[in-house]
Amino acid sequence: MKVLYSQIKELVPDLKASPKEVGETLTMSGFMMDSFVEVVYKGAKDYLIGLEIRQNRADCLSVIGLAREVAAFYGFRVSIPSIELNIENKTKLNIKIKATDYVKRVLAIKLSNIKNSESPDWLKEYLAFYGLNSINLLVDLSNYVMLITGYPSHLIDLQKTDGQISWSLNNDFNKMVTLFGSHIVLQKNTELIIRDKKNILALAGIVGGKIAAIDLETKSMIVEIAVYNRSIIRKNSRNLNITTEASHRLEKDLDPNSADYAIKLLVSLFVKYTGGKISSDLFDYYPKKHTSPCIKFDTDLPSKFAGIKISEEDIFRIFKNLNFTIKKTGRQLLVEPPTYRLDLSIPEDLVEEVLRIYGYNRIPTNEIPKLEIIPNITPKNIVLSEKIRDILNIFGFDEILSCPLTKKSDNEFINYIDWDIVMIQNSVNDIYPNLRQSIIIGLLNQLNEYAKNNVDFINIFEIGKIFGAKAKKNKYIEYEALGVISTSNDNNLTEFKNKIESLLRLVGLNDIKYFDAKFKPKIANSKSCWDIYIGKHCIGIIYKLIPQEVKLNVYFAEINIAKTTESLLNTKNNPVVEITQKLIALDANVELNANESIFKYLKKLEDKFDKNCLWSINISDVYSLKSKVRYTIRVTYKELSDQEAKEVHQNIFNPTKV
Amino acid sequence: MLINRAKNLINDLKNDLADTETFKDMNEVWHKYLGGKGSIKLILKEIKELSIDEKKTVASLVQACHKDALNLFNKKEKLLRKEKLSEDIDNQSERLGYDLPKIGHLHPISKTIREMNNLFTGMGFSIVDGPEIEEDEYCFQRLNVPTDHPARDMQDTIYIKEPEYLLRTQTSSIEARILANYKPPFKIVSSGRVYRNEKVNKSNHFIFHHYQGVVVVEKINLKDLFGIFHILFKKMYGSDVIVRYRNKYYPEVEPGVGPDMQCFSCRGKGCTLCKGIGWIEMGGAGIIHPNVMKKAGISTSKWMGFAFGLGLDRWVMAKYNITDIRALLGGNLGYKYYENESII
Repeated sequence: MKVLYSQIKELVPDLKASPKEVGETLTMSGFMMDSFVEVVYKGAKDYLIGLEIRQNRADCLSVIGLAREVAAFYGFRVSIPSIELNIENKTKLNIKIKATDYVKRVLAIKLSNIKNSESPDWLKEYLAFYGLNSINLLVDLSNYVMLITGYPSHLIDLQKTDGQISWSLNNDFNKMVTLFGSHIVLQKNTELIIRDKKNILALAGIVGGKIAAIDLETKSMIVEIAVYNRSIIRKNSRNLNITTEASHRLEKDLDPNSADYAIKLLVSLFVKYTGGKISSDLFDYYPKKHTSPCIKFDTDLPSKFAGIKISEEDIFRIFKNLNFTIKKTGRQLLVEPPTYRLDLSIPEDLVEEVLRIYGYNRIPTNEIPKLEIIPNITPKNIVLSEKIRDILNIFGFDEILSCPLTKKSDNEFINYIDWDIVMIQNSVNDIYPNLRQSIIIGLLNQLNEYAKNNVDFINIFEIGKIFGAKAKKNKYIEYEALGVISTSNDNNLTEFKNKIESLLRLVGLNDIKYFDAKFKPKIANSKSCWDIYIGKHCIGIIYKLIPQEVKLNVYFAEINIAKTTESLLNTKNNPVVEITQKLIALDANVELNANESIFKYLKKLEDKFDKNCLWSINISDVYSLKSKVRYTIRVTYKELSDQEAKEVHQNIFNPTKV
Repeated sequence: MLINRAKNLINDLKNDLADTETFKDMNEVWHKYLGGKGSIKLILKEIKELSIDEKKTVASLVQACHKDALNLFNKKEKLLRKEKLSEDIDNQSERLGYDLPKIGHLHPISKTIREMNNLFTGMGFSIVDGPEIEEDEYCFQRLNVPTDHPARDMQDTIYIKEPEYLLRTQTSSIEARILANYKPPFKIVSSGRVYRNEKVNKSNHFIFHHYQGVVVVEKINLKDLFGIFHILFKKMYGSDVIVRYRNKYYPEVEPGVGPDMQCFSCRGKGCTLCKGIGWIEMGGAGIIHPNVMKKAGISTSKWMGFAFGLGLDRWVMAKYNITDIRALLGGNLGYKYYENESII
């Protein structure tokens, strides 16, 4: 919302503050100044102050509303000229409100003998500050009053209507042409419309129709100002994708009482500038008069919320400046805000009123709070993720963050989990309508970007969410995952695997095994793709990628942080031992079928040993035979004599030759 | 003749020793003169043929020669050892390589989160997280934003399945979950991605990051909140940072606060970065709205809380002089592989 300094000054004549000070004052009390421009209006230097209006203060989408705010801050009165309409003709208008659930108030009056014309320069100049093009005098005055009072109005050319005018839900019309010429497709039973016997005249609270639009030939018209149930205006505006100055205001809470002043001002200007005559009684549909709540208020509350003493005198002064009605009953106040303050209903709202006018800048900012000690509830996955970041940094991996939205085709290429793709309904970017199922997408994009820019040593990782759905169960799933990608000119899978394994071991995991992956993503080399297991639980995947755009070997691993955390919580390690005897290393050869997993074999083997006597089991050599693979397994024993170690070794590997 | 041989013995030994370059050669000279069949033993065998005086003379010469020989061998051995060590040092020496080892870097968002987390955990806060696919209930309704509330305009939502499932528009959804699932008192911070249906440009992205803090205790006020912000701003931007607190509307708090930092680029004079205002909005905060507390079943007569949410991307861009928000999500953000930030 923009406001001219001269207009504020006109409504608050005692104002001494400079234009900049006014902008800053409004900023501190809740309406941030987002622009400040020196302009010329009516031939004089002026200032246009741009302000961000609080979402719950539709009353301040008006010059009058902002003038009230300035007056309240400085303790001045607002001088709004009173207007009375001289209504001699008591003819009743043929108007019917049918959609009573959605209409709070309708004010309407007929004007005839109008002489519409081009607007005067001051009006055109004024509307231009708001980016509004001049249409004609009638329409421009209507917009002018909206900016001054905050109430949009609607003008209906009576020569173009037929029969009764009514407010109803749309039952009959499939389409409408707006006064701007846009064609709108309508859905029956959803839109609140203004209509006559045959035609749709307007989408109530949003935009007028072309059929009864005002033009330079308009001689008689109905002027209406209405306040609606905000929900239907918001719903219709969103569904039809139409946002106007009118809908912007009417989808918020507007005070139906103040609509009186708006229509009086508008009609008086029509009479003054177009020579029009009032030729009907004022139609006023207002079944339930809006009243302000009476809020019980403890004057200690502002001090309690601010942490500093705020006196009762200050509270009274502020309430008075805000035009609140106050009654004192013992320690409590009964506070009744003016009806245009629809944002105030509970004591906390009034606390904010006191504090924002009193000034947040009067609350000390440099006192260190004394906060009580409370048990720590930090989940362990957060601790783990932080540790992982540090370890990967030491291993030379850079962290990146990437966009979790992606293409469907990308997901189909990288997914390795039994779940469906999660699609979003209203993506800002149609190219990326899905949530990623693996972190590799972002890492690969970054890798290609780095390669294009000649960045070398591309080893990167990301910790972030991956997403999927169980369509049948109508359930969305997300995991925090670690994705790590590494590039190399040479075959380097083992080194990469060792880094991942070192990472897992450094965070405290053991019993790490690799099994041929159950579900291999299309992007993986199917012969170099393994699931990573901790004990019996699969926690991730490691694979070599099929050849990529970059002419390098690319390796990827993804670890599910939640599952890894769970494994860690179930792991009890104590790597510390006292070495009292020499360690004894003994080898044994075993031959397995080529398709047999050495990890499964080792797992079974480990179970045979007394853990107190076992230092380590390693594969020291691998030799491929025709249909078999020969492994040399080196077992290192502790706390045993030579003879004892040999006996254990013989027993375990018997009948295999030792 | 024997006397002459005895006289020449030490000179011959000296000459032979002078020619030796290895321990092996030296051993051979040792055996030649001092061994069982060496020159000294031979002279002593032949000495019995001489007269008593000659015996005395030769014996004395041999004795002196033996003593000198031992000294000479001792010296020669030391010399050879020194030469050997020098040779070993030459052979086994290594040069320092000039390649810089690759070090990894934290993303500036993570780095900033970590700095903030360290600050808050030092004050006894817990760190929590929450889902990015969120329910309308936790993202809006429990935060005092009912279905038709105009505040929803502030956060144009990306829906998974309208109206129930969406991508969280704010990390306040974590606050709503904590309030619903834990009993006060609590002091928590959380951070993470949030999503809005916005066009992407240099200053806006449909994905960005929030840092959230919530305190619910028996007694808390705006002075405490400002005190926390005071510590946070000083820690992140140095002691000369200038911050103002203004009234701001958020449906989940009452009263609401907007902390702004004086523009670091123009020092408040107004520039393109701050859109001519001189200040940069850093987030929102306030005393938790009683409706939010009530929806979580928390008694407002006993408990009071404040919450704050910070636009982390702005904090990071200000700290690292990043001018394009898009750099934070991949693209052209890189790290100089030879530099890292100080850890202290």
